[in-house]
Parts: sequence; C-alpha cells; structure tokens
Amino acid sequence: MTNLKTSLYEEHVKLGAKILPFAGFDMPIQYENLKKEVEAVRNKVGVFDVSHMGEFLLSGPEALKAIDYIVPNDIKNAENLKAIYSPLIREDGTIIDDLIVYKMSADKIFICVNASNIDKDFTFFQEQVKAFDVNFQNVSESYSLLAIQGKESFETLKKTSIGKELNDISYFSIQILKEAQLPHFAARTGYTGEDGFEIFADHASILNLWKELLELGVEPCGLGARDVLRLEVGFPLYGHELSDEVTPLDSGLKWTIKFDKENFIGKKFLESYNPKYKLVKLILDKGIPRQGYPVFDDAGNEVGVVTSGTMSVSLAKGIAYARVDIKTKAEVFHIDIRGKKYEAILTKKPFVSGGHK
Amino acid sequence: MSTKIPDQLLYTEDHEWISIEGDIATIGITDFAQSSLGDIVFVELPELGTILESGGSFGVVESIKSVSDLYTPLSGEVIDKNEDVEATPEQINSDVYGAWLIKVRVSDTKEFETLLKASEYKAFCEGN
Repeated sequence: MTNLKTSLYEEHVKLGAKILPFAGFDMPIQYENLKKEVEAVRNKVGVFDVSHMGEFLLSGPEALKAIDYIVPNDIKNAENLKAIYSPLIREDGTIIDDLIVYKMSADKIFICVNASNIDKDFTFFQEQVKAFDVNFQNVSESYSLLAIQGKESFETLKKTSIGKELNDISYFSIQILKEAQLPHFAARTGYTGEDGFEIFADHASILNLWKELLELGVEPCGLGARDVLRLEVGFPLYGHELSDEVTPLDSGLKWTIKFDKENFIGKKFLESYNPKYKLVKLILDKGIPRQGYPVFDDAGNEVGVVTSGTMSVSLAKGIAYARVDIKTKAEVFHIDIRGKKYEAILTKKPFVSGGHK
Repeated sequence: MSTKIPDQLLYTEDHEWISIEGDIATIGITDFAQSSLGDIVFVELPELGTILESGGSFGVVESIKSVSDLYTPLSGEVIDKNEDVEATPEQINSDVYGAWLIKVRVSDTKEFETLLKASEYKAFCEGN
C-alpha cells in the first residue's frame, strides 16, 4: 500500500526534505538540519506541516452533551472558542488516543486526533455518538494544518493573507478565520512549548500560507525537530508515553480526568483504580536514551522502560521519559544502553521551559 | 545532493570508507552516511584487541534522533580507535574522510576484494 501524502508533499520534496513514512503518510522528518530547526522554534519561529493529523466534526443539538460524555476532561463548562486537551479512554480506562477538542459552540465541536489513530478513534466515536442527536464526520481529507511555533509566530502570521485579521488570542483559545460549514480557524496551541498557532484550513489556503511563511524567512521544520521540542518540554506522545496498555492515571494525565463530572466513559473504572506506573523525566550526563531501553533503580532492580529518549538540542544532554513502577522512590536511576548502565537523574521540572503564553 | 567520494578510498554498501596499508585497514563512514544521519552526537567504538568478523557490528553512531550500527566489511583485530572522534563526534560531520573510526589488522587480505571502488560506490549511491 502506498503512503498518503499531505497537500504540501511536493513543497517538501523541492526543499530536499528527508521524507519517511509516518502514520501512513510520507512526512518530512527533517529539512537541512534538525538542530537548526529546533533552535529556530526556541529562538524565533518555525513552521511544521502537520496535515497528517485527523480532524472530526461533531455537530447538532447534542454535540456538547456527547463530547462531554465521551472524553474525561471538562468540555461543558469551557467557554466557546476554547481548545481543551483530553485523552480518549475506554470503559476500562485504557487510552485510545489523546486529542484536542475545539469548542466552536454548543452545537459545533471540532476534534483533532493523532494521524496513527484516525481509524481507531473514528470507529470508537461512531459507536458512542449513536446515543446522541448529532452528526459525526471525519473531515480529515478536507483540511490541511500548519503549526507556526516560536516567539515571533504572531507577528509573522499577521503578515500573511490568512493571518491579517488574527487577534492576540490567549493560550488555548481559537479564532474563526473563515466562517463555513468547515471553518478555517487558528488555535493558540502547539506541541513545542513555545508560543504559537495552529492553522486549520483548506488545502489551497494552507499551501499559500506555507509559501508566504517561507518567503518571510520562517524555518521549515520536520517531525524530528517536533519530537525533540515536545520531549524537551515534557509533552507526552501517543505510542510512547500513552498507549492502549495504560490509563491516564499511569501517565501523568490525572489533571485531565474530571471526576466531578456526572459521567464519562471510564469514570467508574478509574474511580477505584490504583495506578501501576508513573512517568518520570530523566536526564543523563552521558549516553543517549532511546525508547525501549530498560530502567533500573539505584539498588539495581529493573523498574521500568524508556518511553521516549533523545539528545536534547537545547541542553546537549540525553533526556528521557520513562514509565516506572509507581512504588519506586528512586531519584537516581540507571538506563541500560547496549549493555552498559548510565546514570539518569530524576527531574521534576520540564527539561526546558518553553516560552508559551 | 552531491556527495564526496574520494577516488583513492574503498567503500561498502553500508556507507563505510576503507583505506588500506599492508594488512591494516582504516575504517570510517562516508559523506553520504554523515549527511543522511545529520548532526552526529555520539560514537561508540570497540575496545582495542576486539576481534571483528566481517559483516558484524563494531559500534554505533548516533544522531539526535537515531542510532545506526557500524558494520565492518573485514575480519581482524582492532588495533587502534580514534578517541578524538569519541570525544567530539561532530568531527564526522565537518571532516568525514579525516575522522577515521578504527584501524583493523585484517586476518584475510582476500576480503579486500569484496570492497567497492570509488566508481562502483558512486554508482551504488546513485542507484538508491
């Protein structure tokens, strides 16, 4: 089966991007230099083609009631034009995906999901929405998506045709750029820890925006840089920190589970669940941790596994998220890297503090 | 993308370069390899005295996002390794044909015949 391509694929090829399959798409992993891309986002502004992400539209009289039941975070009490991060979980608490809910209005809810989980999520949602008076559509093929990230993102976007009317909206707020059944909109969100926007629009508008941004000198950034950036600020990634095997309470997402809501899928299970694991952030002076490497406590007991690891561009040190036994009290761990153990120190704070507002 | 392939060296399909003096082979990675890896941030080389078998792994190079095995096309004993490169792996990006990795005393010089000439390696890279 051939991979899907985003509407910007030819642009990536023209730029000489290194393209690899990711979640069924041929995606740009890096352009000229990953380090330069990370630094552009931390210090100025970069743009990511994330059109592979999936978009669902839930509309109708009971749209809000439906989404507030389907996801554990609180959508009902959020203001209109807000974005809300939430995991999507089963009755047994396990994580199907993590997503962002965009509350356009009580009868129009937009949902952005991970590319690798589009089909799984869609099937789950379709089953759940049957009980509600709603329309539910997978509109992924109608949208392209750019993430513009970095402290200069707002002023840069103001210089583009689609961003002329953009307001200085607050973090996790949205602004409709073009009213339509499938609206174009901006959200002050991203996956880098920096200030930034994600722009959802049709393919032609996004292609035009991409070209304008590159002409303005914005650095095109690939998924490699995106992964380094998100790990540096401690954002979890599905398939790494989050998976079908664990619950949000095992994965640092307790803050997204609103037990005071009347009901949501998985509530009953999670109310009496004792988490087995916790996620820890580890930093190494030597060695680069990678997903799957075993983690030991200071007494030499194997207590977990690295879920994501990389060389941090900003710190020039190895950093990792590891899923470890909830009972471990260790603050100094050891990671087995190709048969040798390297010291890894627990850190409570993000590895890098991003500059988002 | 143009990649540097010096005429006087020999090569492998795993993108290593080899220079030979008598029965001593010096091994590094090629311009093609360093350019596809991007910024190299870590190199792990074998201990001196390690006996290598052709086709086996003798270490790793890591970029920010990836780990790649290094393969030896030749059997023999590791008699030297480049500790400078271990200390400052970015040398591989800046001076790829100067940044040798290991020297091997080759046990069977017939294995030299399996190596690619510059023109053959160039054709191999272009074919990919």
